[in-house]
Amino acid sequence: MLQSVPAKFRILLVWGMALVMLMPTVVLAQQAETRPALPKVDFAREVQPIFAKRCFSCHGPDKSEAGLRLNKRESALAELPSGEHAVIPGDLGKSELLNRVASTEEGERMPPEGKPLTAEQVDVLRRWVAEGAKWEEYWAFQAPKKQTPPAVKNAAWITNPIDSFVLAKLEERGLSPEDPADKAALIRRAYFDLTGLPPTVAEVTAFVQDASPRAFETVVDNLLKSPRYGERWGRHWLDVVRYADTNSFERDGNKPHSWRYRDYVIRAFNDDKPYDQFVREQLAGDELPQVTNDSIIATGYYRLGLWDDEPADRLLAKFDVLDDMVATTGQVFLGLTVNCARCHDHKIDPIPQKDYYSLLAFFHGITPNGTNGPHVERQIFENDAARGQYAEKQRTLEARRNQTQVALSAIESEFRTKYDQLANVGGPAGQVDLDELEYRFYRDHWDRLPDFDNLKAETVAKLPLGKFDISPASRETDFGFVFTGILKVPADGEYTFSLDSDDGSRLTIDGKKIVEYDGIHGEGSPKLATVRLRQGRVPVRLDYFQRSNGLGLTVAWSGPGFEGRPLTPVRKNGPVRNLTEQIKTLGVKLLGDEKHREYQRLFAEMEKLKNERVSSDFALSVSEFGSQPPETFVLYRGNPTSPRDKVEPGFLSILGGGTAVVPTPAPDAKSSGRRLALANWVASPENRMTSRVMVNRIWQHHFGRGLVRSPNNFGQLGDLPTHPELLDWLAAEFINQGWHMKALHKTIMLSSTYRMSSRPSKLALEKDPVNDLFSRFEMRRLSAEELRDTIHAVNGRLNLKMYGPGIYPEISAEVLAGQSAPGSGWGKSSPEEQARRSVYIHVKRSLITPLLADFDFADTDSSCAARFATTQPTQALAMLNGDFLNTQATEFARRVKQDAADDAEKQVRLALKLALSREPEMASVERGLKLLKSLREKHQLDVDQALKYYCLLVYNLNEFVYVD
Amino acid sequence: MSNFNFGSGSFCGRTRREFLWEAGAGFTSVALTGMLSSDGFFRSQAMAAEAERKFANPLAPKPSHFPGKAKSVIFLFMYGGPSQVDTFDYKPKLYELDGKTIPVKTKGRGGEKNEGRVVGPKWKFKQYGKSGQWVSELFPHLSNCVDDIAFLKSMTADSPIHGSAMLQMNSGKILSGSPALGSWVNYGLGSENENLPGFVVMLDPTGGPISGAKNWSSGYMPATYQGTIMRSKGAAVIDLNLPAGMTREMQRELLDSLQIENQQHLAARSENSELAARVASYELAYKMQQSAPEAVDLNQESEATQNLYGLNEPRTQDFGKRCLLARRLVERGVRFIQLYSGGNHNDANWDAHGDLFKNHSYHAGNTDKPIAGLIQDLKQRGLLDQTLIVWGGEFGRQPTAEYAEGTGRDHNAYGFTMWMAGGGIKGGQSYGTTDELGAAAVEHPTHVKRLHATILNQMGLDPNRLAYFYGGLDQKLVGVEHVEPIKEII
Repeated sequence: MLQSVPAKFRILLVWGMALVMLMPTVVLAQQAETRPALPKVDFAREVQPIFAKRCFSCHGPDKSEAGLRLNKRESALAELPSGEHAVIPGDLGKSELLNRVASTEEGERMPPEGKPLTAEQVDVLRRWVAEGAKWEEYWAFQAPKKQTPPAVKNAAWITNPIDSFVLAKLEERGLSPEDPADKAALIRRAYFDLTGLPPTVAEVTAFVQDASPRAFETVVDNLLKSPRYGERWGRHWLDVVRYADTNSFERDGNKPHSWRYRDYVIRAFNDDKPYDQFVREQLAGDELPQVTNDSIIATGYYRLGLWDDEPADRLLAKFDVLDDMVATTGQVFLGLTVNCARCHDHKIDPIPQKDYYSLLAFFHGITPNGTNGPHVERQIFENDAARGQYAEKQRTLEARRNQTQVALSAIESEFRTKYDQLANVGGPAGQVDLDELEYRFYRDHWDRLPDFDNLKAETVAKLPLGKFDISPASRETDFGFVFTGILKVPADGEYTFSLDSDDGSRLTIDGKKIVEYDGIHGEGSPKLATVRLRQGRVPVRLDYFQRSNGLGLTVAWSGPGFEGRPLTPVRKNGPVRNLTEQIKTLGVKLLGDEKHREYQRLFAEMEKLKNERVSSDFALSVSEFGSQPPETFVLYRGNPTSPRDKVEPGFLSILGGGTAVVPTPAPDAKSSGRRLALANWVASPENRMTSRVMVNRIWQHHFGRGLVRSPNNFGQLGDLPTHPELLDWLAAEFINQGWHMKALHKTIMLSSTYRMSSRPSKLALEKDPVNDLFSRFEMRRLSAEELRDTIHAVNGRLNLKMYGPGIYPEISAEVLAGQSAPGSGWGKSSPEEQARRSVYIHVKRSLITPLLADFDFADTDSSCAARFATTQPTQALAMLNGDFLNTQATEFARRVKQDAADDAEKQVRLALKLALSREPEMASVERGLKLLKSLREKHQLDVDQALKYYCLLVYNLNEFVYVD
Repeated sequence: MSNFNFGSGSFCGRTRREFLWEAGAGFTSVALTGMLSSDGFFRSQAMAAEAERKFANPLAPKPSHFPGKAKSVIFLFMYGGPSQVDTFDYKPKLYELDGKTIPVKTKGRGGEKNEGRVVGPKWKFKQYGKSGQWVSELFPHLSNCVDDIAFLKSMTADSPIHGSAMLQMNSGKILSGSPALGSWVNYGLGSENENLPGFVVMLDPTGGPISGAKNWSSGYMPATYQGTIMRSKGAAVIDLNLPAGMTREMQRELLDSLQIENQQHLAARSENSELAARVASYELAYKMQQSAPEAVDLNQESEATQNLYGLNEPRTQDFGKRCLLARRLVERGVRFIQLYSGGNHNDANWDAHGDLFKNHSYHAGNTDKPIAGLIQDLKQRGLLDQTLIVWGGEFGRQPTAEYAEGTGRDHNAYGFTMWMAGGGIKGGQSYGTTDELGAAAVEHPTHVKRLHATILNQMGLDPNRLAYFYGGLDQKLVGVEHVEPIKEII
């Protein structure tokens, strides 16, 4: 808002504004005296933010109190029901808006809540009306404009167009850029920036001595080629997609294979994957024309959020998960808080509630989260050959199982016939038609069978007697069972199943629904169905629920050579007989020695085959229920039980809008194809947000803040870009060179802007206190990961092994005591594994590794656009007293001693050199020697202990933790 | 306790606006109303220019919205969910119905039910105090304090499941990621004692509650506001104890050497207040190492005081220590203290799914005397008026049995009892009622949000104004809709 005010006056305003907060009236008087001629009001930068922030909550897209809306020119200028006009261009007296904001009467003055507008703001509005109330669309909702680098006075400073945009603004304010950083500072900056690790002294020296004009370019090129680059920049991406390896809530259970997504991101950065492809893979990697392992793993994006596996309200929880996807996708890719339109139209930005649900519709077919299984895991193969081999092995294994089963069943059948002819055995032989049978028990109140797969089972157990047995139920009403196992089919042929239950049930064989008897009813009229089955072992599943009064489940089958054999326990026949036990005692007698031995062999063989698995890899991935997603409705006040108008998947109207064109999927398609339509729209060069939002993030991580300081919110509650032209120029450049991030990094880093010193001049501090203009480079503290990794790098312990399942740093018992089951869900890694880079640490939402948490690790529960950088005594305590630091200091001392032998001066020098990537000053070395001496003599430490504590001190140096 | 810096290079992550909301709270002038949503629109340049010259501690005390009755909160968290009908919500009819199956709508861990077998309350009730409040035999000591207590007998919450219900009681939301109540209080008011954390959590020896640290997380706010675990055994605060072989004198010398090096580094960068803040934070840490152990040193208390809290009896010793520690922290200006009764899972806390009698006898027996002692002690020291005590779990329990057999009760979020005392609360009364079975709130149903609003209100913070800008919204502890504190009890 102050950008167009001449520099000299601006400083006055800055201070005036500070005063305004205290005493608005005084400032009013002052300003009247000091006002010079002002340039024209810039609506988008000066007026619209006032409307958005102070007026829209009552007079905006969502509400029009007193009939007034200030989000569009027509409505702002229209006659109000009261007969007045809020704004009449050029008419200061009759523009009611001006009268109301300037009023001193409570009840009259607008806005009614909070502080009145400042005198400055009122003045802006007044001048705007006087100049004709010009209106233009908010900058972010306009397509980027083609930008030409502006002319500057100091052309010698320009390395590339970035500098022109920056310098033009500096010159406008009478400032000049800082001197270039010295080479040692510059290379340390570049190393941390691109790799998160410090340069060695040798690397610094080589660079300092390299007089070639391309010396820095060479450094940047090499760093961009380093695999360390992806580990650092991938982590920035993991922050925004709120990456974690667990689900939060009571169990905070692991997400299966989530680490593959993390590895995918690191690889994508290292491979310089074009950003548009990176977007497409994450949003619709499973629907792309070319599906690859990577593109499947990338869709793990949809599974990274919170998941309450035991929600109080399942329907609401379903929409909470969808909301999380809408919120994250909107903020991460588009820089818009679409999530604010869940319950009503966005109060500030022109995002109607309908747009929210049209965006949600793209995700509506996605299956719920789960702990494992086909909903969330997908098999992945290196290549087609591997896929073929896997299928072949799987077929062979199944064939062997079937073969063995048929042989086993034949002997069992023979045994049963002979057994049933015996007298005095107290009943017929047992029959185990079901194998590997397991039940899941649920408690709740239903009228029809629920989708048990989405519910949390109370108990899971095996049923070795091989009957669908509901007696393990812990109560008589309101419960459910799911049985899964293997049906042993003795021969190819037609089989008839009979199902009777009180209340509902459903039998599924080989993945196909065979009989369904749903709803509330008593027993007595069994449902029958006949199917053809192949001999061998066939997967079977039975779902059952009981509401109240009477309960029961009776299942039987008939087939070639047998009639009405029960698959549920028949209590009146006494206890279920165990055929295996019977064969054990009477097998030799009834079958003969040889056959019995054969049976035993087959039995053992079968047990072995059951446990055999064809190994393969899995990825955490998205999946949908099929080609037809459920219909989507606008939910009144966001309430899932109040659906209103139906919506189709469609794009945000502020970005052009339109219903998505989704090709009709094949009937047997695994998904709807909707997400691909979304991905293509997001990743299009025509999308006015995508490129801007990403170049802003890249800029942010080079300079400490984005050109737009609110990287997840380019809307009207976000911040205006400090350099809008530069942002648009970078956005266009990014697309033009093929969405490659490495090229963009290089352009940015080779600019003079990037290479400035971080020491501001007095004038710069005065005129540009928060560095809005990039009058200097911004010093920064190391991130949590950089700090931990550098500690390891410096003491020589850093293990550069890449990829794979997460690692577990040691966490002290006192921290673990905060868990409800101390230690649960936290593994153990070897010391070598623990010394790997921090990006590989297992991210458990309820147990963030303490050193990382202390140093402002990203919030894992929602998209983290920018990390905090707090300074707190708890950090000092961890750095001085914590186990981790003390262990690492001991290692550091060991390394120093190894390389510098017993020469104390060499030790001190080396410790400082390793930690600071430079030759230390003599004075500093002398102070170190003095401390070492005192530690030994005054405090009676032995040589090693003294050195360890000196190393601990070095780890605590501000210079170690900050980058110039 | 911690130092932010708001210097030129100090934009501390988040978006600019969020930073300003946050930073606004650290100012020592009127501008600190940055924490109020109604301020809406700050010119960040002006703010930052101001900040440039200041070096403020975000936990420095800040003026409240209006004069608050209470200065500190002690939240006695009965984790697992105590049964209201066995503690304070007297339901004579339940005794007669014991064992009978009756229609009653319930929703708990075991899902929804429309009927159930009544489990008669396992303890007798009597009226106590001048006000005649009903209390069961479970609390022979606390029953003498009822004239200081306001019982909230019609509490409701959104979830009958531990994970989400714990989050709601602690952060107002059933989804994880939002700041805890204690974080909000410290964000709004700062801490009176920079040498101690402003938000302290004390856990049960059996372990933390479900979801662990999520219950005292600062969510989307900076870690400055998160809860710190304190103990009377071992290191009072994590990483507080010196490493083996280190003495305090030695550490002083080490720190002096460190600060000399840091001063050298700072000399060339004197404009950078971030670096100065870091230097200062080491001194604060050094002071904390002295003040925190002193704060948790219960040996300074007389035997009579120790006995008042039950430190002389094995079963009350543990919780008694936490209560006594809480009083000592209140005296030292700590804003928000949360004590857990019960930890871990199942019967290690109030989650009485099995044997109700055994479970509640155990947990009430461990805590009754210490809590009564805490109230009496605060009162005799004149601290009760400025200390708000809150008692309760994440929900209550059902009047009916959970299983076919036994006395275990399932969770109940439709109606349960909590109570408040001190800190400007009118004692000797009960607010709201449940139905005659104690199954659901009928008169004045009181959502958790209103409990939170009341706590903030007593601290001098307007629950509908205390806001933090995040994710495109002015986030509030009590949510977007206007929420009234429970006027009747204040």
